[in-house]
Amino acid sequence: MIEVHLYGKLRRFADEQDPRAASVVTIEAASTDSILDIAERIGIPASELGANLFLDGRYASPDASVGEATRLGLFPDDMQLLYKWYFRPQGESAVAD
Amino acid sequence: MERILRIDMTDRTATFEEIPERYARRAGRWLTSSIVHDEVPPECHPLSAENKVVFSPGFLTGTAAPTSSRISVGAKSPLTGTIKEANAGTGWGGRLARLGIRAIIVEGQASGDGWWLIKITSDGAGFEPADTWAGQRLSETYASLFDAHGGRQSVDICAIGSAGEHRMAAAGVCFNDREGRPTRYAGRGGLGAVLGSKRLKAIVVDDSGAQGVQLSDPVLFETGRKKLTEALTSHDITKPKGALNCYGTAVLVNIINEAGALPTRNFREGRFEGASKIAGEAIFAGNKERTGGELYNHACSPGCIIGCSNTWHRPDGSEHTSCIEYESDWALGANCGIDDLDAIGELNLLCNEYGLDTIEIGGALAVAMDGGAASFGDAKRAIELLHEIGRGSPLGRILGNGAVVTGRAFGVERVPHVKGQNMPAYEPRAIKGIGMTYAVSTMGADHTSGYTIAPEILGVSGKLDPADPNKAELARNFQYATAFIDSTGHCLFIAFAILDIASGFEGMVDECNGVLGTKWTPEDVGRIGGEIIALERSFNEKAGFTALDDRLPGFMTREPLPPHNTVWDVPDAEIDKVHG
Repeated sequence: MIEVHLYGKLRRFADEQDPRAASVVTIEAASTDSILDIAERIGIPASELGANLFLDGRYASPDASVGEATRLGLFPDDMQLLYKWYFRPQGESAVAD
Repeated sequence: MERILRIDMTDRTATFEEIPERYARRAGRWLTSSIVHDEVPPECHPLSAENKVVFSPGFLTGTAAPTSSRISVGAKSPLTGTIKEANAGTGWGGRLARLGIRAIIVEGQASGDGWWLIKITSDGAGFEPADTWAGQRLSETYASLFDAHGGRQSVDICAIGSAGEHRMAAAGVCFNDREGRPTRYAGRGGLGAVLGSKRLKAIVVDDSGAQGVQLSDPVLFETGRKKLTEALTSHDITKPKGALNCYGTAVLVNIINEAGALPTRNFREGRFEGASKIAGEAIFAGNKERTGGELYNHACSPGCIIGCSNTWHRPDGSEHTSCIEYESDWALGANCGIDDLDAIGELNLLCNEYGLDTIEIGGALAVAMDGGAASFGDAKRAIELLHEIGRGSPLGRILGNGAVVTGRAFGVERVPHVKGQNMPAYEPRAIKGIGMTYAVSTMGADHTSGYTIAPEILGVSGKLDPADPNKAELARNFQYATAFIDSTGHCLFIAFAILDIASGFEGMVDECNGVLGTKWTPEDVGRIGGEIIALERSFNEKAGFTALDDRLPGFMTREPLPPHNTVWDVPDAEIDKVHG
């Protein structure tokens, strides 16, 4: 199981949608699942995902495998401040710079 | 013709001087740091008559370049003892630029107990007694000064609050925003205390009859302006109703919290359980409930097309404070364990009223809480402590002199600072690149000295993993590019768009060439930034700073930070390679 914390417009995929609370979806995940796999299972269009994706607090690319992570944080495309410009995410191979 | 205005507070004279040839192409941070380097004795006491406060609008300030209304303020810092440049978005600098004033140098020290105001117009500069406004809240001071000087449309105002009058090292220099609110700060490093030491309370600028900024090549300038405008208005972060316009910089609260890098309860943890309650999304939702409509952010200064400045509203819908920036939200919120936006709003308001740097004060409060002066999360006590600072009580003076002085007074080792300046809202144990920036910044721990500038611009190969300690080139090049942008008058937030949209970056360089008549290329951005940093480091070396000062505090090498449970482990040799 992995806890998926959703922010901004992605909160609509959680039961709790108040932005002042935690919008969390708990979902089954295999270690080989990618972030995109998980997002797709929740119903989030890939086009709405921004670059700020965090696996157990580590900046990750959409095709990174979730491995043993227990927490996934997903921010939408209109909330991608900072990380994209500073850092190379885990599993970046399929991500264009 | 552009000139420098030299103000001697000792004998209260104001003299216009020609710009020396060596400064002919310098403005903003480049010019403030050049003048401080050339004229201020590095070993002087920051509150002595030998120190000077230098104001300079950027190359583009006062022109039609988008989001270019920054004013740089420089001096030797009473907080750090280093050179300092802090900048703010306001119409004040544009008025100076249109009057043809490239810089103001405030030197000397007035004797006696009186306070002074300087009024600058197209006829020159004059002194007026300012005792009337001493000790007031800045909202009262600004309202009164606008009334006395022809109203908001006629003038913009720079002033210090009671913290500056008390020469506290956390005192900022306040400017008004576009609506006249006294809320835009050259906040860090205690520059307000340096003005206080000279007994200069305020500078009022009226640019009626000014000739405006002369353009060397208006066609090239216009080409650049259009390219940059197109980039800013099309990019997801900077466009209307984009991330900054919608959520403000406080959008970062949830992002940095999710990354486990949001310093919480005086840098004891990297995640705050109350983050969602204080983040940009919560501000947007709270305002919507209280005002009955979606409230998008506003421009802090004329010509800004990003518009990231927010307001926070009371339950009855009236405006409580502006602006709750990410750093202020964090410093007065998560770092103090406070998850109540109304309390954060009140603390933010009081910092603005008393003329304080929100980051340093949030840091000092958190250190005081760590030392037992209050419990983490005790917002009521935090507000009382802010009033102590405003009154200048003995306890208030300890807090108002920043986190290091507070740590000494309360016997606290855990003081997250570099060179005496409290760290801002990014935990270096979780984001080691920012730790490198803190370590080697010429101004102590400062996020804006290397903020969001991609290494690709300056030809560095590839991005780095956040946990990778090999950050030397990254930190150096971030600082060079930032120093250049700080000299243009542009807000650093243009970086988001110009990093993704090459024509926007070219547009910024075209604008500069269009104003100055230079032939700069994008490669010159790094070269010029490097020159600025070299000047600043030269000042600091003469002031006695060495590589041993480029270090993070020891507790960070020993205390693992949850949730990543990492320590600061970047080798000293790697830090020293940045400018080595």
